[in-house]
Amino acid sequence: MASVTFQNVEKKFGDLTIIKSLNINVEDKEFLVLVGPSGCGKTTALRLLAGLEEITSGEIKIGERTVNDVAPKDRDIAMVFQSYALYPHLSVYDNMAFGLKLRKTPKEDIKRRVNEAADILGIQELLQRKPRQLSGGQRQRVAVGRAIVREPKVFLFDEPLSNLDAKLRVQMRAEISKLHQRLKTTFIYVTHDQTEAMTMATRIAVINKGNLQQLDTPQNLYDHPNNLFVAGFIGSPAMNFFPSKIVKNGDKIYVDSGDFKVQIPNDLAGPYKGMDGKNVIFGIRPENIHDPEFAPSNIYGEKVTAKVDVTELMGNETLLYLVSGKNVFVGRVDPRSHLRVGHETDVIFDMGKFHIFDATTEEAVR
Amino acid sequence: MELANKKISGTKIKRNLLPYYYLVPAFLIMGVITFYPLIYQVIISFTNFETKHLLLGLNSPELKFVGLKNYIDIFTGALPVENFNFFRVLEFNFWWALSNVFLHVPAGVLIAVMLNTEGLWLKKLYRALYILPVVVPPIVVATVWRNIFDEQYGAMNQLLTSISILFGHLDPVHLRWLTEYKPPIPGFLPGAPLTLAYYAMMIANFWLGWPLMSVIATGALQSIPKDLYEAAAIDGATGFQQFRNITIPLLTPAMMPAAVYGFTITFNLFGLVFFMTGGGPARSTELLVTFAYNLVRNLRWFGVAAAFAVIIFFVALVVLLITNRITRATQSYSEA
Repeated sequence: MASVTFQNVEKKFGDLTIIKSLNINVEDKEFLVLVGPSGCGKTTALRLLAGLEEITSGEIKIGERTVNDVAPKDRDIAMVFQSYALYPHLSVYDNMAFGLKLRKTPKEDIKRRVNEAADILGIQELLQRKPRQLSGGQRQRVAVGRAIVREPKVFLFDEPLSNLDAKLRVQMRAEISKLHQRLKTTFIYVTHDQTEAMTMATRIAVINKGNLQQLDTPQNLYDHPNNLFVAGFIGSPAMNFFPSKIVKNGDKIYVDSGDFKVQIPNDLAGPYKGMDGKNVIFGIRPENIHDPEFAPSNIYGEKVTAKVDVTELMGNETLLYLVSGKNVFVGRVDPRSHLRVGHETDVIFDMGKFHIFDATTEEAVR
Repeated sequence: MELANKKISGTKIKRNLLPYYYLVPAFLIMGVITFYPLIYQVIISFTNFETKHLLLGLNSPELKFVGLKNYIDIFTGALPVENFNFFRVLEFNFWWALSNVFLHVPAGVLIAVMLNTEGLWLKKLYRALYILPVVVPPIVVATVWRNIFDEQYGAMNQLLTSISILFGHLDPVHLRWLTEYKPPIPGFLPGAPLTLAYYAMMIANFWLGWPLMSVIATGALQSIPKDLYEAAAIDGATGFQQFRNITIPLLTPAMMPAAVYGFTITFNLFGLVFFMTGGGPARSTELLVTFAYNLVRNLRWFGVAAAFAVIIFFVALVVLLITNRITRATQSYSEA
């Protein structure tokens, strides 16, 4: 149980800067997810924390202790690897007991802790097997078990679910969340999958190109992304973006994409009043685009004419791929929608829930 | 109906025979160059076959079937050959192969691990250099090493002399490497004296043997996933503990068959032994294969030599069965 602090942490491999001045403060017992596209530096950040890579400059603290020069084994952490990294020649029991044996833990203690962990994970009957006799999901559990028995201050997970099939992934996601609630320890979890981040984290750190983009709770990230990258990365299907201009007409403010023009409701228009003629990027999430037939009545609806290009029926919702002039965008509409491929129609943008980003800095304007 | 059935089974048989037609040429060639001599050898091992029977072979009028006499003579040491004891040669032969492999495998692994260090300069050059001994013809190797161990002019005695001068002994060292019969450590191997020539051969064969083990270990080392070491480091393993708990067990599946291969090669290492010591002094470094060859080359006792070869075959068979068992027991961990 400990907090974790990254202070101005920088990591270079030769001339290549992987992480530029990372500042993250992970609180005790928090479940922090580092998320970002491949190669963004999130795994490197985790490996720096584990002590598997040396930091170029800055400071990493676990609790109150600076661990820059502390060997991995003395950092009081446990890590679950993407490949699981189980010792192939040892039984499940010995895999889990390995760290404890090296630390000269008494035999009865080892036995008790391994059995406890096996109970938590439901792998009691696998203890005598070798890793090669286990399925992917079982190996995953053993890797987690190996971390649990160590009773570390911080758990590190490096994309632990990416080698599992979709169904198992959903199941393990819930189990890891449950484990966090049960162990009440700090979890730091790396993934490129924003769904995993959204479903498990107490807070998410979005990283891109070695920079922290935003660190917030899942809901805040979703509702108030700081910039274009976060807005596009969090949420599936991704937010729709339209390069546009702010246009002032009397005391009304409009967003003009060239192909369509929608009004910003007066009570939300404050920040955009002085931006007449400015280039912006207008963003709206698919679920805020409605089939006019089923649009709720209590929203700031604005009509946009578009042609249906593709429809995807999901059962509980229907995804419409729409074309308006040079813009292609996705609407997530009521499954009862009668819109079909080729229809020319008006769709409703819910202008109570839009996002405006500066076209050059890509920062949110609000 | 019956007729139709017959027709079908007829073509079936024809089709089933087809693969055997393809095998016929290979069988013919193997029959002439492998099976015929093999069977011929087993037959003459029961006779008093000598040089004079070479012309007419088994049709020679004075060729006598002597039953198991050749075999009994070999086992009881009744052959009129000086310093010959079959069981001593057999014991020495096993010891020779074992002691070599026990040196080559650990040495090969250690050197491979050292050369696998990250950031080491000229790594590829070392790896190319140390494989050189494997490609030098055995007779060249044996000749060079015989000269090195020469009593008067050999490099080994000169080296020892210059070392002993450092310690204040001014007399030149005159170790009779290849001719001294008195074993330097008496009773080291009960029943078979290990003469200086044995140690000289060990040194020469070490030079020959470890590189191959090192090549195999290098390949196996590179197939051990890096994250196992990282997991072990986080689990608390020091460098040596990682070597003992990860490197060694994960090298075993590769090194075990290599050791078995090394054992069989060394067990029958004719070239080096024959050209370096000729089995001497006083047959103390004789292997089964060199002795069998001596029986033919010097004594022209084809019948006895054939019996000897049959015995070697059974010894090799036992070795093969044991080593097969060992190899199978250490199959790769990742195989189900």
